[in-house]
Amino acid sequence: MNRFILLILAGALSGCGIPDDGETSAGGPPPAPPYQMRAALPAGDRLAVQSDGEALFSNRCGSCHLAGGMGTNLLTKQQMMAGQPPEKGLLTNRTDLTADYVKTVVRQGKVAMPRLSRTEVTDTELKAIAAYLSKAKS
Amino acid sequence: MKLTLPPRVSPAQFDAALKAYASVVGEGWVLATDADRDAYSDVYAPGPETEWPAAAAISPNSTAEIQAIVRIANQYKTPLWPVSRGKNLGYGTAAPRMPGSIVLDLSRMMKVHELNTELGYCVIEPGVSYFDLYEHIQREKAPLWMSVPGNAWGSVLGNALDHGMGYTPYGQHARNLCGLEVVLPSGEVMRTGLGAMDNNPGWHVFPLSFGPDWTQMFTQSNMGVVTRAGLWLQPAPESSLQLTFDIPNEEDIGWVVDTITPLKTAGVIEQNVFIPSWLGKIVLKGQRKDFWDKDGAIPEWRVQELLKEHKLGYWQVQIRFYGDETLNKARAEIVKKAFKQHLDAAPMEELWRQGDPINQYDATMGVPSAVALQMGDWVGGRGGHMGFSPVVPATSKHILGQLKRSRKIIADHDVDFYASFTIGGRYATNINMLMYDRDKPEQVANIRKMFDALIKGTAEAGYGEYRTHIGWMDKVSETYNFNDGIQQRLNQTVKDALDPNGILAPGKSGIWPSAYRGAAGKAGAA
Repeated sequence: MNRFILLILAGALSGCGIPDDGETSAGGPPPAPPYQMRAALPAGDRLAVQSDGEALFSNRCGSCHLAGGMGTNLLTKQQMMAGQPPEKGLLTNRTDLTADYVKTVVRQGKVAMPRLSRTEVTDTELKAIAAYLSKAKS
Repeated sequence: MKLTLPPRVSPAQFDAALKAYASVVGEGWVLATDADRDAYSDVYAPGPETEWPAAAAISPNSTAEIQAIVRIANQYKTPLWPVSRGKNLGYGTAAPRMPGSIVLDLSRMMKVHELNTELGYCVIEPGVSYFDLYEHIQREKAPLWMSVPGNAWGSVLGNALDHGMGYTPYGQHARNLCGLEVVLPSGEVMRTGLGAMDNNPGWHVFPLSFGPDWTQMFTQSNMGVVTRAGLWLQPAPESSLQLTFDIPNEEDIGWVVDTITPLKTAGVIEQNVFIPSWLGKIVLKGQRKDFWDKDGAIPEWRVQELLKEHKLGYWQVQIRFYGDETLNKARAEIVKKAFKQHLDAAPMEELWRQGDPINQYDATMGVPSAVALQMGDWVGGRGGHMGFSPVVPATSKHILGQLKRSRKIIADHDVDFYASFTIGGRYATNINMLMYDRDKPEQVANIRKMFDALIKGTAEAGYGEYRTHIGWMDKVSETYNFNDGIQQRLNQTVKDALDPNGILAPGKSGIWPSAYRGAAGKAGAA
């Protein structure tokens, strides 16, 4: 792997039991962000039409896809390998996602991401999340 | 995944059962498409996911709904496999032990009934994740800390009920359970501990009852569906101090354990001390091919190179103290003095006080993270892992014996060695993380063969696992062999008495109800 990318990742994980290996000192990447609070799950019937894709994304996907999350860390590496800036590791910074793609990955999983059941993310919740993540393109 | 029906249930009976379940939870919460069955399969399955197929899933939202579901299951003989959030990764995820079981997914039950800051406990439902509880505590500004496992994506109760471990003074999670509410296989509700008395305010603070207390009977078992529980939480400390020691050599684990255990049993060290081997540090830094690009175990010379390149010891020991700063410093001095007898290098010391930032990856400070799942990326492809998890007395004799034995079996199978010991007091759990690319059948076959060899070799030496993947529950259960396996015979006697139709989680922990005893050994791992 590209040494620069390794360095960024080592920085992102600094403090999670990984000792400083000397590569992340002065001039290196910033320390990992603090815990990112998720939005509350919108109240009401989870099977009914949903409108708040942003809150749903935060609550249903945020355990992995907010700053410093497992999904964000892996996507940061993937995006940087593709020549993109590290910020593109956050799904909310992406401009190339389509609603159908989001739905497919959530239901079928992808690499380290397990599939999510229709209890974990209902179809109506997923529709709102997919619309939110793809809004820049629609 | 195509439908696998429960044993002896016809398609028409199955459809009728699903309709009955839908009348309880609503059609939208009965999940029975091929895609739904996929979603409840073992995403890390060592082999095809169809080996442990669910027939469907049902998601209730209350204890009353669960009671109704259990009664329907008895009527239609459709066995249920209860999961709290279905994130038992490495041990089967949400997949049932017996093919054709219906997953009873409790993840909609997300209520925090009580957060008691005065006495330090919460009362929660099974769907409450570590993230949910952490955020609830933060929003309430409650001076309480959780104990979290390495991967905290799952359920707080699910982890405790499956004997999960954390890395704080409250790290033996099953022992934090205090007062359960359980739906029995008959559909009746019972409450353990002082909950057996109506409105007793001590339900979640006194860990026993009058007469026998049944709380632990509902852990790693199939005797009931836990619908809520009290769980003790640690008072938030005013300060914390951590010492980090890099331990250079593999065999040093002997003196490390003999140093830590007496300090732990004497109360100088309060937390569960987690000691991972070097690969635990590398595995989050990239993919295996970045460090070694050939099949087979990373050779010892390359291991030594990697340790030098990354300035790592073979093991790393982090010991954290919680509470009064003066006391923490005094305790740290005792530990430093004890380590100094074996190790010249001084530890790194990190002091934390209330108000200071907390690293989001620090499980020893009760912060939940799913970042451990990044190891799925290590092997590349569709990475999976299983944990081989024996427990041994926490002395150098037992630890070094276990290390040598499992090291040899793992080396004989040409697999990377990635282990940790967690010292919980008088015992240590030894988690051997076995990683594989699910798209490489020969690699998966080798891991399965090795898993069998590890169980056998460990049992022959007199030790057993405290937790295992669904496919190996029978094999591990058989190693608990005192007096012709009387523990399992007792379990099955109790099971048959409580659950004559065998509708709750047949095969869990090797406990087969008589109705499905013929299914033991026929399904799952060969």
